[in-house]
Amino acid sequence: MSDPMFDVVVVGAGPAGSAAALTAARAGRSVALVERGPHPGSKNVYGGVVYGRVLDELVPRWWEQMPVQRWVTRRSTMVMTDRQALTVDVRAQAWGGPPYNGATALRADLDGWLADLAQEAGAVLVPSTVATGLLRAADGTVRGVRTDRPDGELSAGVVIACDGVNSFLAKEAGLFGGRTGARHTSLGVKETLALPREVIEERFALRGRDGLDMEILGCTRGIPGGGFLYTNLDSLSVGVVVGLDGLAACGVRPEELLADLKAHPSIAPLVRGAELKEYSAHLLPEGGYDTMPELAGDGILVAGDAAAMCLAAGVWLEGVNFAIGAGMYAGRAAAEALARGDTSRSGLAGYRRLLEDSFVLADHRKLRRAPGLVFSERMQQRYPALLCDLAEEFFRVDNPRPKPGLRRLLRRGAAAHGVRLHHLLSDALTAWRSFG
Amino acid sequence: MLVAAALRCFDPHTAVDPLTGVVREDPHAGRASEADLAALEHALRLAEALGGRCVAVTVGGARADGMLREALAAGAHAVLRAEGPGHDGAATARTLHRALLARHGAPDVVVCGDRSPDHGTGSTPAFLAARLGAAQALGLLELSPGRQGTLHAVRRLDGGRRERLRVPLPAVCSVEAGGVRLRRAALPAVLAARRAGVPVLAVAPPAGAQQVRTVAVRPYRPRPKELPAVAGGTARERMLELTGTFVPPAVARVVRAEDPVLAVDELLAFLRTHGYLKEGGR
Ligand SMILES: Cc1cc2nc3c(=O)[nH]c(=O)nc-3n(C[C@H](O)[C@H](O)[C@H](O)COP(=O)(O)OP(=O)(O)OC[C@H]3O[C@@H](n4cnc5c(N)ncnc54)[C@H](O)[C@@H]3O)c2cc1C
Repeated sequence: MSDPMFDVVVVGAGPAGSAAALTAARAGRSVALVERGPHPGSKNVYGGVVYGRVLDELVPRWWEQMPVQRWVTRRSTMVMTDRQALTVDVRAQAWGGPPYNGATALRADLDGWLADLAQEAGAVLVPSTVATGLLRAADGTVRGVRTDRPDGELSAGVVIACDGVNSFLAKEAGLFGGRTGARHTSLGVKETLALPREVIEERFALRGRDGLDMEILGCTRGIPGGGFLYTNLDSLSVGVVVGLDGLAACGVRPEELLADLKAHPSIAPLVRGAELKEYSAHLLPEGGYDTMPELAGDGILVAGDAAAMCLAAGVWLEGVNFAIGAGMYAGRAAAEALARGDTSRSGLAGYRRLLEDSFVLADHRKLRRAPGLVFSERMQQRYPALLCDLAEEFFRVDNPRPKPGLRRLLRRGAAAHGVRLHHLLSDALTAWRSFG
Repeated sequence: MLVAAALRCFDPHTAVDPLTGVVREDPHAGRASEADLAALEHALRLAEALGGRCVAVTVGGARADGMLREALAAGAHAVLRAEGPGHDGAATARTLHRALLARHGAPDVVVCGDRSPDHGTGSTPAFLAARLGAAQALGLLELSPGRQGTLHAVRRLDGGRRERLRVPLPAVCSVEAGGVRLRRAALPAVLAARRAGVPVLAVAPPAGAQQVRTVAVRPYRPRPKELPAVAGGTARERMLELTGTFVPPAVARVVRAEDPVLAVDELLAFLRTHGYLKEGGR
């Protein structure tokens, strides 16, 4: 085969792709970054929160440049039933200053910024172009991608597939080993609601660029999933994420779930009077560590949602940070393999090692049982109701009757909601193993 | 033969805060409208057919570079970004004209989209034609080389009709979006265009004295309707006549004249009947 046109071809200019292109270009490699949308971020949907710690390695003092809406200084987790809600609310004012914990950002801004960094480092962005398949050498090694443009073949030393959930490239490369289908895939639907900045600050008890990130359990009519509400400068992002299997079995439309959430007594006052600006929907991988494909093949690496590196487990809805981390290590591994002249599967194996040593696979391995736990029927239906009842009873002032003890309330609530003690224990153990 | 495609970069998602008037633009979302893309395709085809060069030109900031690179990838021989006044049709035409003259000389044909989607009035082509001393044809669906150094154009008329035009050169033609689609650029051309630099030419605003300046802004107020004075009678009669209380309401008459001459006769007769034109007046 003649000399490849590029050392590295990255498919998809999402966070994973741009981070991969940036790292490989900084290592002195020629890089093409292929994106199907007219500009990075045009095809992407997410809730709105970015945990930027991973950027420390990629962009020193990133917080001075990143296009941020608000810095997350409040994180809440809410469990709810139709008429109750119980919230754990954490405010840490230290998160509102460098080096910052998390931020809300718009995808067009964030993805555009990352892709600009990659271009400044020398990567060539090829927008409005879809990678339609893989180019292979006679021995099956991946040697580039085919695109939907005339004369559209791009040959490369290494292909990094960052083409998001449903990665056709990773499937075509056989990295999923024949596993396909809707299992372990969720659908996220989201609305962007405009509200004046002062109203947001008043309603959510925020000041300046402070922001709130709220995750919600028990708002999906029992369909495995959860909800979220995030604050931007002058808009809110509200959405639900539900498993595709459950959604199909239930026959409910996702926008009905979102309407339910917005009408809930604890959410309605927060979104009152807001103007609907945008409705969007997108798939996301929810299975975690156990559903990841092989991460490297001959001449190909896979990163981000394309490799199921999204953490969708109740209090966590994170994918951008994992995508950036994985992209960064993929770019580094590709550059190292090219420098050694070995881009075979074993030559690219350094990628997995880099990921294992970092938060990307460490967190996913640690939380591998979390999706199963969070999406279980008990966690989705019984525990929210049990917790809400427990809190309601505990805080009710019922004199002249004497106050009931917590143990009695728990026993009564567990019986009322069909939760057995051994369930509680086994779930607590799983939770301890995951989060402990 | 120089064929210029005059394009305008706009952001389809620009949001304006209704209270503060703050405009929020997405710096990455700038692109050409469908009509402008059709204009580029027409310009490319004309340049090919006439053996000329196609230049894509715009007035705008660096945000327009992506759009110009797309034009290069699609086959434009050169691109040019003019930085200068572009706040209305006249200013845009002046900046385009100066930039083209300075860099490529007077164009034989300029093709534009019929109007830009961001509150465009469609006036830029007319101003440009005036500056170039060129013929102008607008609202075109088809545009191709015609006989004896002219262009052949087809224009949309109301009622599903079409008008064929022979347009002499030099010409400024504005096209509608529906006629053609911009060709899909080949990948090697896209790669070359991504690496190409975009030449920028700064055009200074006109020197103070000649410049048209806005001296006052006020809300639009329609002109009052003048009614002829009513003659004689009592105050009551004059009032009744003025308000038309007992006059049966005029029934609207829809006239479909077979040909334009009959239509003109109808109109003149109407104006005479209602006293707007004197008998025999023109
Ligand atoms: C509703 C919802 C809410 C979420 N909320 C959050 C959140 O708050 N915080 C968080 O961290 N994560 C969140 N996530 C997850 C997060 O969006 C993803 O994990 C993250 O975007 C993954 O990044 P990526 O680069 O791997 O993939 P993507 O962002 O999906 O990017 C893939 C890119 O590849 C392009 N592409 C795809 N196929 C091709 C092709 N064949 N050729 C060329 N280009 C192609 C696409 O256009 C896209 O630009 C949420 C997801 C959803 C759906």
